[in-house]
Amino acid sequence: MNPRLFLQTLRWNQFKLLAVAAAAIGWGLLLPIIYTSFSDAFRQLVNSGTIPKQLLGVGSGNFFSLPGALTIGLEHPLTIAFMGIFAVGSSVAAVAGERERGTLEVLLARPISRRTLYRTVAAALIVLLAVVMAALLGGQAIGIALQGLGDQINLAYMPLVFLNGLMLWTAFAAFGLAASVSFDRTAPALGLTMAYLLVNYFLEILGSLWTDVAWSQQYSLFHHFQPGEILTGKADPLDFVILAVAIAIPVMFAVIVFPRRDLAAPS
Amino acid sequence: MSAMGAGPGQVITAQGLTKHYGNVRALVDLTLDVRPGEIFGFLGPNGAGKSTMIRTLLGFLHPTRGTATVLGLDISTDSVEIRGRVGYLPGGIALYDSLSGRDALDYLVDLQGREPVRREELCERLQMADGVLKRRVRDYSRGMRQKIGVIQALQHDPELAILDEPTEGLDPLMQHAFYGIMEDLRAQGRTIFFSSHILSEVERVCDRVAIIRAGHLMALQDVDELLARRKRKVQLRWRGAAPDLSGVPGIADVVIKGDEMRATLLGEVAPFVRAIASPSLEDLTIEPARLEEAFLEYYAGDEASEEMRG
Repeated sequence: MNPRLFLQTLRWNQFKLLAVAAAAIGWGLLLPIIYTSFSDAFRQLVNSGTIPKQLLGVGSGNFFSLPGALTIGLEHPLTIAFMGIFAVGSSVAAVAGERERGTLEVLLARPISRRTLYRTVAAALIVLLAVVMAALLGGQAIGIALQGLGDQINLAYMPLVFLNGLMLWTAFAAFGLAASVSFDRTAPALGLTMAYLLVNYFLEILGSLWTDVAWSQQYSLFHHFQPGEILTGKADPLDFVILAVAIAIPVMFAVIVFPRRDLAAPS
Repeated sequence: MSAMGAGPGQVITAQGLTKHYGNVRALVDLTLDVRPGEIFGFLGPNGAGKSTMIRTLLGFLHPTRGTATVLGLDISTDSVEIRGRVGYLPGGIALYDSLSGRDALDYLVDLQGREPVRREELCERLQMADGVLKRRVRDYSRGMRQKIGVIQALQHDPELAILDEPTEGLDPLMQHAFYGIMEDLRAQGRTIFFSSHILSEVERVCDRVAIIRAGHLMALQDVDELLARRKRKVQLRWRGAAPDLSGVPGIADVVIKGDEMRATLLGEVAPFVRAIASPSLEDLTIEPARLEEAFLEYYAGDEASEEMRG
């Protein structure tokens, strides 16, 4: 890893990170408040049969328990947007973006191997994702404290939720980086990574709304991010193994392909 | 033509270097050497393979065939070490727009892992004052970006500078300053590999020149030798009888019109001058041999030659 490149990569993202982290804290804080204010009303709506239970949840989250509400917060499209800014946007731009701008050539004119560049950018991305994930969970923890809900949840499980969430988004970032090192332009890399993310999300949401195709969730990486289960002490180690494999495959691809690619002059 | 000696102790050697992109042959069996302490011109029009050669030497491209060394290091296995000892200016350099000129130079020299021992001198010679360096790169003109490009390539005083069309975008005054920097670097024993499609600058600053066409090496020679072998245009006017040039070696294409004669002269000038020396001679013009003539010989009938004059 190159420390100067690592710091500069963080610097390029500092304002974006500040804005996203602030928004993530706000969003995380809101979930316990929504739970406190509306969970009874939601429960009555479901019990009365006015609204199907599935429509009051996102993925494996729901508003009928605090862990379920926190899960909604972590699987909500808004969270996908916060995390996606770095897991998709920054990962795709890391190499293909430099290539498109022509700055990759200036960078690689230094004594930096492509593997070192990859490792450095990957490390910076993990830090960025970790900060946003910590902001989300931190916001939720503050919200829980403000609403006096500490007795409904074991906050000691939060680090495991953090790790599970970070692994999920690192898997998408690893895919984005693999796409980034494979293309000379950001558009195809971005398209491919967005498609990967959306298909995973679609499979998870589809299975949660339509019980007949609940099997589809097994094929979604989002289904292996289970904050609700973890917070109730029912974490499945297999989820972590599957996410680790989902990280390892694109990393291996990138580490093999990137050094072998020809970097022709930018057009 | 590709069989040029590429011996040990050279700064750059290439042996049968070939690069294909699918069916496109960007470099074909290219063999050359660059000697220590010389300014080596790599001449060819756009698309001839100059940048491909440079990018292959720096490890951005993998050769299809052949081998090459830079500073004695293999380009296939030691490219990181090579880049640590080389200064490189890419053609049409792109910089980080959000950084100031100074921050961009700091960042790049930090990544290089060397001290910017030449930066101050280069900034002074290329008229990049402190106030200019404080401005963001996005506010720079093309010429200013190019100057930052030259400075970043040379600020750490590399043993070898590889410069891809370095005067592109520089005004004549700055071009002149740049040539001065090249000459000083040569005097200090640095080696410069310099690609260009501007014949006049190669002729002016380079010791040796390689001419490349469609990926093939067409010529590799001392600039002086190349020029000595060029035909010069001569023109003279006299009173009375025309001088007898029949015994002058190298005279050809003689056209006499009244009391004026035009011809071409290949080789030494002295026999020609002796033959025409007479009180009846009124006027004499001998045009200097130009690299353009040599170049056109290799690119005869090629549109590419049109873009190479300068």
